[in-house]
Amino acid sequence: MIFHSLDFAIFFVVLVAAYWALPRRGQNILLLAGSYVFYGWVHPWFLVLIAVTTLVDYGAALGMDLRPARRKTFLWLALAINLGLLGFFKYFNFFADNVAAALAMAGWQTPKPALDVALPVGISFYTFQALGYVIDVYWQRVPARRSLLDVGAFIAFFPNLLAGPIMRATTLLPQVEGDRRFSAAAARDATLLLAWGFFKKLVIADNVGVIANKVFALQSPEFFVLWAGVFAFGIQIYADFSAYADIARGVAKWLGIDLIKNFDHPYFAKGPTEFWRRWNISLSTWFRDYVFLPVAYRLSDRMTSDRRLLFDAATWAYVGGMIITMLTAGLWHGASWNFVIWGGYHGVLLALARIVGITRRRRRRARRWLSPLQIAGMFLLTNLGWLFFRETDLAQLVRHLGLSPFQSTVLGRHAGAYLFFLALLYSVPLWIQSLWAEFGGRDLVAAMAGEEERPVAWAMAVQALLAGLLFAGILVLRSTTSLDFIYFRF
Amino acid sequence: MSTPGARRRRGFSLGVVVVGLFVVPLGLRAVNSVVRPPDAAPSYIPSIESPRVRGPFDSAAVAALREADNDYILIGDSMAGTRIDPGHLSRLIGGHGAAALFHPGSGPAYWYLTFKNFVVDAGLRPRVVVFFFRDENLTDTLFRVYPSALDRVAGKQEPVLDDILAARARGTFYRLHGAIRRLYQYDQTRAWLEPLLIRAPVAWSAGQRDRKQLLESINNEVFTLEALRPMVAADMAAVSGEALDFDRNLSTSVLPEILRLSKASGIRVAFVRVQRRPTADGPPAQSPALQKYVRALWRYLDSNGAIFHDDWGDPDQPLSVYEDGDHVKKAFRRTYTEIFFRKNPEIFR
Repeated sequence: MIFHSLDFAIFFVVLVAAYWALPRRGQNILLLAGSYVFYGWVHPWFLVLIAVTTLVDYGAALGMDLRPARRKTFLWLALAINLGLLGFFKYFNFFADNVAAALAMAGWQTPKPALDVALPVGISFYTFQALGYVIDVYWQRVPARRSLLDVGAFIAFFPNLLAGPIMRATTLLPQVEGDRRFSAAAARDATLLLAWGFFKKLVIADNVGVIANKVFALQSPEFFVLWAGVFAFGIQIYADFSAYADIARGVAKWLGIDLIKNFDHPYFAKGPTEFWRRWNISLSTWFRDYVFLPVAYRLSDRMTSDRRLLFDAATWAYVGGMIITMLTAGLWHGASWNFVIWGGYHGVLLALARIVGITRRRRRRARRWLSPLQIAGMFLLTNLGWLFFRETDLAQLVRHLGLSPFQSTVLGRHAGAYLFFLALLYSVPLWIQSLWAEFGGRDLVAAMAGEEERPVAWAMAVQALLAGLLFAGILVLRSTTSLDFIYFRF
Repeated sequence: MSTPGARRRRGFSLGVVVVGLFVVPLGLRAVNSVVRPPDAAPSYIPSIESPRVRGPFDSAAVAALREADNDYILIGDSMAGTRIDPGHLSRLIGGHGAAALFHPGSGPAYWYLTFKNFVVDAGLRPRVVVFFFRDENLTDTLFRVYPSALDRVAGKQEPVLDDILAARARGTFYRLHGAIRRLYQYDQTRAWLEPLLIRAPVAWSAGQRDRKQLLESINNEVFTLEALRPMVAADMAAVSGEALDFDRNLSTSVLPEILRLSKASGIRVAFVRVQRRPTADGPPAQSPALQKYVRALWRYLDSNGAIFHDDWGDPDQPLSVYEDGDHVKKAFRRTYTEIFFRKNPEIFR
C-alpha cells in the first residue's frame, strides 16, 4: 500500500479509529495485523519474508538471553539468515550478471541465471531495523523481549516499514511496549506533518522528478541540460525521501508513537561529515554504529605502530573504516555499480574531510563569512554525487563527466537555464523551510506546530492557514505524473 | 499532568487545524472568480472537467484528409507510429493510399473522436479505418484521457463520450475525485496557474530575442523522440483484474459507439492488436484472464462485422526487432508495414 492512495486513506482512518478504542495489547495486535495488511496489500507473499525475519530475530535474541554461552552462534545465525534473504532477493541477479560477465571475459560463456521475482519493497529497511535489535541484544544494550507480538509490531511497524526511518530497538520498542494515550496536540502536529509531507511528495518531488526523468532519458544531453537535470534530481530525491519520512512520522504520531527525524536540511551542510549528520540520519547512524565503528576499531587494533606514513593509526583506521562503510552503504541502496561508486565517492569525501580537518584543526577559527561558500561547495559536491547515484549506465556516466560547458549550443544553455529555474521555482517552499530553519533556528512546521501547553490564538490561526494552503497547493499543483517514492527501490 | 482546560485547548487547536485544512482551499473558488480567464467555457466532457480555455480543433488536418481522399485511414498511438510507415504502405496499396492519424500517448477516447470528427462527420468515406491497440486498451475508457490532446479532435460538445466517461467514472475513487473537484474547483485554478508557472522561468533563461520560441524549441529540438535513449522498461505495464473483464467494461467503453458509427456510415473498421514485448523464448506471456478477454473481443468484433487481427505470437516479430518497451526499432518499420500489408488480406482486399 502506498501513502498517496485512496486505499491507504481508508485503511488509516479505520485503523486509527479502532486503535484508540482498544487497550494496549489490543492496540499492538491491531498494529501487527494492520502492518501486515499494509505490507501484503499488493504482494501477499512478501509477508512470508517479514514473518521469517521476525521469527528468526525474535528467536535469536531470546536464544542469546537463555543460552548466554551461545550468544555468538545466535548472532551469526541471525546475520546469516537476514543478510541471506536480503542478498538473495536484492543482489542475486546483480552478482549472477557480474559472475557471468567475468567468466565471459575469461572465455567461458555461461547462461545467466535470472531470478524473476519482484524486489520485496522495504526489505532493506526492515531487515536493518530487525538486525539492529539482534545486535543490540548481543551487545547487551537492550534486553531480549519475551513478547513475539511486541517484537513483531516493532519490526513490521507500517509507517516506517517501506522507506524508513530505520528505528532502533532502544527508541521504538519501549514505545510499542508502553501505554499510549491519545494527544490532541500530537494529532495536530501529525496533521501538519502529513500535509507538508504530501505537499513535498506530490507537488515538489513529482514535478521536479519529471524534469530529472526527461533529462536522464536523453541519449546525449548537453552540459547545461544535464546539470539542470542533476539539480532537479537532487531536489527530487530530498523532497521525495524527506516527504516519506514526514508522512511516516505524521502517521506514527496519530498512533501515539514518535519516529526520529530523518532529515535536517542536508543541503545546508558545510561539509561531508555534516551532510551525513543531516541526510538519512537513521541509516547513517545505523552504519556508523553497526559497521563503521566495529570495522574502524578492528583496523585500529591491527595497526602495530602509532604512526604510518603521514597520519596516525587512528586516522588510517577512520579512513579505512569509512571507505568500507560507505561502499557498503552504496551497495545497500541498490544492486548496481553506480551506487557502489556513489558510496565510494562519499567515503573519499568523508576521509578527505577528516584528513583536512586534522591538518587544519589548530588553525581553525570561527569564520562566519566562509559558511555560504562552504554550503555552496558541499551542495555542488553533493550534486556530483547525485549524478553517480542517478546514472545507472556506466558508459553514459563517463560520457557525462567528459562534457564541457564550452561545447554547449545556445539552445542547450537556454534549455539548461530554463530547466534549472523551473526546478528551483517548484522547490521554493522547500528552500524557504530550510532557510527558516537555518537562520530562524527552528523547523518551520515544528515551529508552527509548537509544543506549548496553551496554544495561543494567532498560532492556531497560522497552523490552520498553513495546513489549508498546503492542501490547496496539493490540489492545484500536484504533478499529473505520479511517481513512486524513490526509496521504494532500495 | 495537564489540566482539563489545557486538554480542551489542545483539542480545540486540533479542530482548528483540521477545519483549516479543508476550509482554506475553498478560497480557490474566490480566486478563480477574480482570475478566471474570460474565454473559459464549459468543457465538452463536463462530467470529468470544469470549464476551461480549450485548445483549437485541428480543422487543417481535416481539410488535408479531404484533399487526400485516402482509401485507408489508420488510427492509434506510438505503438502504431513506430510500426507503420504510411508512405511505404501507400506504395504497397496503390490507389489513394493510406493516411496515418497517430498520436503518441493517446487512448480510446482520442481514437473515437478522431474517427467520429475527422472521418465520419467530415464526410470522408475510406474503404477501411484501422485502429491499433494493445491488449485491453479498447475498453479501458479512462486510459489516457488528456483533455489538452483531445481538444485537437473534439467538437464543441461530445455528449456521447461524456456519457461514456461519466458511466465509467462511477467508482468510489472517481466519485470522490469529482466531488472534491466540484467543491474546490481546483482544476480551474490549475488551468491558469500552471501555464504561468511553466512560462515564468522563460524570462530568466534567455534573452528577449530567444524567449518567444524557447519552450517550443526545448520540446521540439531538445526532447525529441530521436534524442531519447532506449529504455527497456518503458511502457511495459501489464494489466490484470477488472480491466480484463470484457463484458463488464464493454458498455462503458467507446467500442460500441465506434461500431455504431461504422455501420451508420458504411465505413468498414478493423482492429489490430499489436504485440507487446516478447521474451527471449517466444511471445509475451498472456494470463488466462487476458486470453479470455481477447477471445471475447474477437467474438464481439466479428459478430459486428469488424475485422480483427492479432499480432500476438507472430514469428516475424521476435524480441530482436523491439527497442524500448513495446515499441519496435525504427529499422523494422518498413518490414512491419510489409508484414501488416501481407498478413491482412481482408483489410486490403
